[in-house]
Amino acid sequence: MTTLLQSGARDTGCDHGRLRAAAASVLLGNWNGTGTVPSRSLYPHQWSWDSAFVAIGLRHLSPRRAQQELEWLLGAQWADGRIPHIVFNPAVPAGAYFPGPDFWRSSAAGGHRGAPAFAETSGIVQPPVHALAAWLVHRADPHESVRRGFLPRLAPKLDAWHRYLAGHRDLGGHGLAAIIHPWEPGLDNSPCWDAPLARVTPAAEDSYRRVDLDHSVAADRPTDLDYARYVRLARDYRDSGYDDAAPHAFRVEDPGFNSLLIAAEYALADILRAVGGDPAPALERAERLTAALTTRLWDAGRGIFAPRDLGSDRLLPVAGVNGLLPLAVPGLPSAFTDALVTTATGERFGLGRTHMVPSYDLTGAAFDANRYWRGPSWFNTAWLVHRGLQAAGTPVTRRLADDLRAGVLRDAWRSGFAEYVNPHTGAGRGIKDFSWTAALALDLLAGQQEDL
Amino acid sequence: MLKLACQEQLLPGDTLQAKWDFAQAAGYDGIELRGKGDLHFRDRLPELRRALADGVVMPTVCVDMLHFFGAFDAEQRRDAIEQMKSQLSVIAEIGGLGAQTPASYGMFSRRLPPFEPPRSEAEDREVLLAGLAELGEHARAEGVSLFLEPLNRYEDHMVNRLEQAVDLIREAGSDAVRIGIDSYHMNIEEADPAAAILAAAPWIGHAQVSDSNRFQPGAGHLDWPAWLGALDAVGYSGWLAAECRLTGDPRDAVRSVPGFLRRAAG
Repeated sequence: MTTLLQSGARDTGCDHGRLRAAAASVLLGNWNGTGTVPSRSLYPHQWSWDSAFVAIGLRHLSPRRAQQELEWLLGAQWADGRIPHIVFNPAVPAGAYFPGPDFWRSSAAGGHRGAPAFAETSGIVQPPVHALAAWLVHRADPHESVRRGFLPRLAPKLDAWHRYLAGHRDLGGHGLAAIIHPWEPGLDNSPCWDAPLARVTPAAEDSYRRVDLDHSVAADRPTDLDYARYVRLARDYRDSGYDDAAPHAFRVEDPGFNSLLIAAEYALADILRAVGGDPAPALERAERLTAALTTRLWDAGRGIFAPRDLGSDRLLPVAGVNGLLPLAVPGLPSAFTDALVTTATGERFGLGRTHMVPSYDLTGAAFDANRYWRGPSWFNTAWLVHRGLQAAGTPVTRRLADDLRAGVLRDAWRSGFAEYVNPHTGAGRGIKDFSWTAALALDLLAGQQEDL
Repeated sequence: MLKLACQEQLLPGDTLQAKWDFAQAAGYDGIELRGKGDLHFRDRLPELRRALADGVVMPTVCVDMLHFFGAFDAEQRRDAIEQMKSQLSVIAEIGGLGAQTPASYGMFSRRLPPFEPPRSEAEDREVLLAGLAELGEHARAEGVSLFLEPLNRYEDHMVNRLEQAVDLIREAGSDAVRIGIDSYHMNIEEADPAAAILAAAPWIGHAQVSDSNRFQPGAGHLDWPAWLGALDAVGYSGWLAAECRLTGDPRDAVRSVPGFLRRAAG
């Protein structure tokens, strides 16, 4: 495997027709009539950033379903603009997932903030990939999009989402969106959050019951102690009435979350232009965010962007894949891009010598090759790094992008569309037939060269 | 790669050869024949042999009668079975793949008065299983397939969904009986047409296409990429035969189908 990757060969090791068919089967099988569940077993509801990545792949299978995927998610948007990280399916028993609707109690605890009365959701958010997904979905079939009025219906909702992040989540006061729970950046148990999370008093063990371990190996999932802290943070937020201005035990500016927001602001500008709106506010926000990202989150010593802990107002001394995601920021100055490529291909991430992109520093003491976001390689972050490398547009980054694309397709096929893989061996971890893995494989197979 | 056929009555031309010329120019790969009763289809054998010799591709025949193997009347049932046997033999003789029939059409609907059919569900099932077993055996002996077509609830009261067809075919026990799916009926009956295709994949032998309004594909609101994507995902290698009514200029309507479906299939 290593030899193959180092040689620069692009052999994906699988028949692309069979891969496409298998990926389509996963997406058709996980479709529930209005949206896609990430997994039939472990994740039986609709997840925010999952749906965005799913839509990006689903557009190649059914542009209409890809539009519906995003429409259905945004149908449960709160009036304050937030897109909740989970929208619960009322047909699924309340105990099938924890924390479920009985925990979040969105319509009651978040009603005064505009949580919908007709759907139960969580109250935290996930990375804002939605405008980017909407734009890509639109471009897959502009005729169908126009016929269904897709963009005119979504544009104000996406605009409200971005305004929520700008208006309610700039907790540091420097123009970046802050996360208040480790689940918000999507990299749930990354070592990036260990230090700020350690300050959180765990919830009592007997106050809740995990159900994720019913479907997945414990060694591949977050630890019980981590989980107790996640529960505490979410409970405190709920009990504050989902008040972003309330004191939060966990407040972090994450480079991954903000990079995706910047990419989404540019996509929103494209969407607003297409529907006859004014793109200027979105573009201005994108520029301000980029300036703040590069001044506040750049760790020159490590050559990577790092999360800033707002509790101590210091950069966290970590190197996670979230620190590489600014590669996907349109117009990032080349000095940063060059440094990120050096870091990605260096010993910390071993791009080109490992399977996809590890979620955490291979040399870090906290690295764990099998445990969720503490080391395993994930398909969505690989897709984002691929997108950034492709956009960087140099011969070196194009070659790296092509190799990464081949690696993603190979790992997707060999792992049975696993949730994540061991970066050293490529062995699938977590669950199989994971929706965004299939969706993003489908997208890379389609070989779309999208402009950033 | 899609294999597209067009039913013969939709194609302009006085002969199968003329229809084939039009079909090929429009992008079709074959012609689906229509099999009338009274052994009319058998009597067309000389015409069919000439067409075959001239290179016309005719993979399938779709029954074109008013009584079927699930008829309430025993004589009609017997006749329908004999007609279908003959059609299976004829399509085998010209190198085709099989013949398509519903259990019944226009005989009874539970959605229309008087709502309760004169035969019980158990008796329906017995009749259908006997017919499928006999026709399946004949098809097997001829080296072709019988395609059982679920119809929507307004046209048949016995077999409406793919899962019902799968259940009958399993019990009838003949590998020579497959499902002939139809996008129009599926749009009415299936909760998720693409998921129904995935679930019934091993039993699907043939497919007929028309849009939500029974007009040619592209004239209605079916989610064709999802429907075709499901067939592709399960590795379906059979034919898609246009069986539809036409809206707009008939020639243009027929011509529009291959390009539309190929684009929708991606």
